[in-house]
Amino acid sequence: MTDLRRRWESVSLRWRVALAFGVVTTAVAALLSVTTWQLASSYMLDQRERGATNQAVVDARLVADNLQRRSDELPTLLVGLAGRPETSVLLRRGGTWTTAGRETDVEDVPPALLSAAPARQRVEVDGVLVLAVAIPVTPDGDMFVRLASLTELDRTLRFLSGVLVIGTVVAGLLGTLLGWWTARRALQPLSELTDAAGRMAEGDLSARLPVRREADLAPLASRFNATADALEERVQRDARFAGDVSHELRTPLTTMINAVEVLRRRHGDLPETAGRAVDLLGADVQRFHRMVEDLLEISRGIQVPDGHDLAPVDLAVVVENVPEALVPGADVEVAHPAPLVMADRRRLDQVVANLCDNARHHGGGVVRLGVVRRDGQAVIEVDDAGPGVPADLRERVFERFTRGGRSGRNGAYSGGTGLGLALVAQHVHGLGGRVWVEDRPGGGARFVVALEEVSS
Amino acid sequence: MGTRVLLVEDDERIRQALGLALADEGYDVVETATGEEALEVVDPDLDVVLLDLMLPGIDGIEVCSTLRSRGDLPIIIATARSDTADVIAGLEAGADDYVTKPLIAGELAARIKALLRRRRPAGAEEAPGSPELRLGDLVISPGRESVERAGQPLHLTHTEFRLLVELATARGDVVTREQLLQRVWGYDYFGDTRLLDVHVRRLRRKIEPDPDDPTLVLTVRGSGYRTGP
Repeated sequence: MTDLRRRWESVSLRWRVALAFGVVTTAVAALLSVTTWQLASSYMLDQRERGATNQAVVDARLVADNLQRRSDELPTLLVGLAGRPETSVLLRRGGTWTTAGRETDVEDVPPALLSAAPARQRVEVDGVLVLAVAIPVTPDGDMFVRLASLTELDRTLRFLSGVLVIGTVVAGLLGTLLGWWTARRALQPLSELTDAAGRMAEGDLSARLPVRREADLAPLASRFNATADALEERVQRDARFAGDVSHELRTPLTTMINAVEVLRRRHGDLPETAGRAVDLLGADVQRFHRMVEDLLEISRGIQVPDGHDLAPVDLAVVVENVPEALVPGADVEVAHPAPLVMADRRRLDQVVANLCDNARHHGGGVVRLGVVRRDGQAVIEVDDAGPGVPADLRERVFERFTRGGRSGRNGAYSGGTGLGLALVAQHVHGLGGRVWVEDRPGGGARFVVALEEVSS
Repeated sequence: MGTRVLLVEDDERIRQALGLALADEGYDVVETATGEEALEVVDPDLDVVLLDLMLPGIDGIEVCSTLRSRGDLPIIIATARSDTADVIAGLEAGADDYVTKPLIAGELAARIKALLRRRRPAGAEEAPGSPELRLGDLVISPGRESVERAGQPLHLTHTEFRLLVELATARGDVVTREQLLQRVWGYDYFGDTRLLDVHVRRLRRKIEPDPDDPTLVLTVRGSGYRTGP
């Protein structure tokens, strides 16, 4: 029972409503059909029986007259009385039977009917339902029997029952359909809510419910939208804060960079210790600069969804224009013809540059840059021959400030901002694509950017 | 005399630091803090203007279009962010190039050098007698830096002219965005293609009979531009 109940509850609400509608309409239609059937069939049978009985009474009177007059026209009369071929008449006269009309065996006439005469009874003769009416024609036991076929009535009733059954089924189906449609309309706001909440969970903070006028639904929509507004504003405020901070940092940064640049140009004039101090300062000012830029870029990405900067970009052009200094000695492999993608060129360039930069610092340098097609998508592959990325880090490397094992501890690479791959992920997602890292055949890591290909 | 740069920047610390570093790179720097001041001190000896778009008083865009209406003095605009409408507005107002903050003297020097470089067509000596180019009904004289249509001179800025010559010399072959950015602006990486797109738009407005249905400078989807037909 509980199992059934659980199964019922697992059926979607829409289908449950539809099924309930179907069951109710079927029940109502069935009830109506049964009543109609009862009334119609009994009325028709009654009519038919009464007609047949009256006929038999009239016939019996004719036969009785005939017997009294002792006319020899009796056989002709009987044939005439039988009339239609599916009717038979039987006459018992002095113990012998005479039949006319349809061939009938006297044995088929139930003896109970004869003993109860005048009487009528429905019997089956040779597989055909007939109404037998027996009427005594003389006081000394002569008997007239009329067998009238009920086939036609039977056929009519069968047709009627067919119509009623079909009607019931159709009503049930229509009811289910109506229920489904009604439920769909009624549940529309719910599926919109599910939709909007889902989009929001995926990070689309602009998802909202349409405002409805129905009193029952308006509060739901406005409450949901207000919550979404608040959430969106909060996320944007956080992003704006990061952006504002970075923005404000740029003024002192400009002073620092340019002052350090002046000092560096005069490196030769400086005492050795001062020169080393300038070098240290210069390197960190550079890194500070990159970090501020990356932070700005990241907060910018959250704030403004792309769209207006999109244009078809040839991936071959992208990888072929990566500066040699960033990928010294790397193989560049491009599928022919090279795939086009819809992208913002500046961001795409940054994606590739950051991946190359990452390979240079964590994987010993890019060994291959590839543009291929995989599963119907345009794919950029950046391969290095380094130690690869362990499976448990493959998601985390794309988070902000996740440091690769090699860089953080021994300081072999301290120029990174910790934001490079996070920016890659943000840009690629912004372009509707995916980025991941896998093992390179032959050792090392392979960073893969997959984007929707567009036709040229 | 070194290259004279007019630096228009309202933040005093940035102005000082940048002025110092640019002077250290060998530039002769004239510093001003407002647009009004900038328009007053502009003189024919200036080689290039470095203009912050965010200025008190008359804003950078307006200064830019005023300067452009007076002549084709090269203008580099400085914007806070590269992806704002500011960049487009500044370029539409006639700027030749843009840089984003923080401004770094070394990078600026490279931009200025690229902007002021005289164009040297591959293989051709730059001389007043260098061969004329034809594009549709335009006659382009790289030596005199002039473009004429039916004897009437069309006025292009130095940068627009260089862009046109690069396209015309290819004689209908595709010139990629990268090539154009590299040859005209000296970008060898991260060329923001809007710089190019706005310049092409400006160029079309000046040379195309119908800028909305270009017949001389055609876009090649996904790669670059070519001349037609």
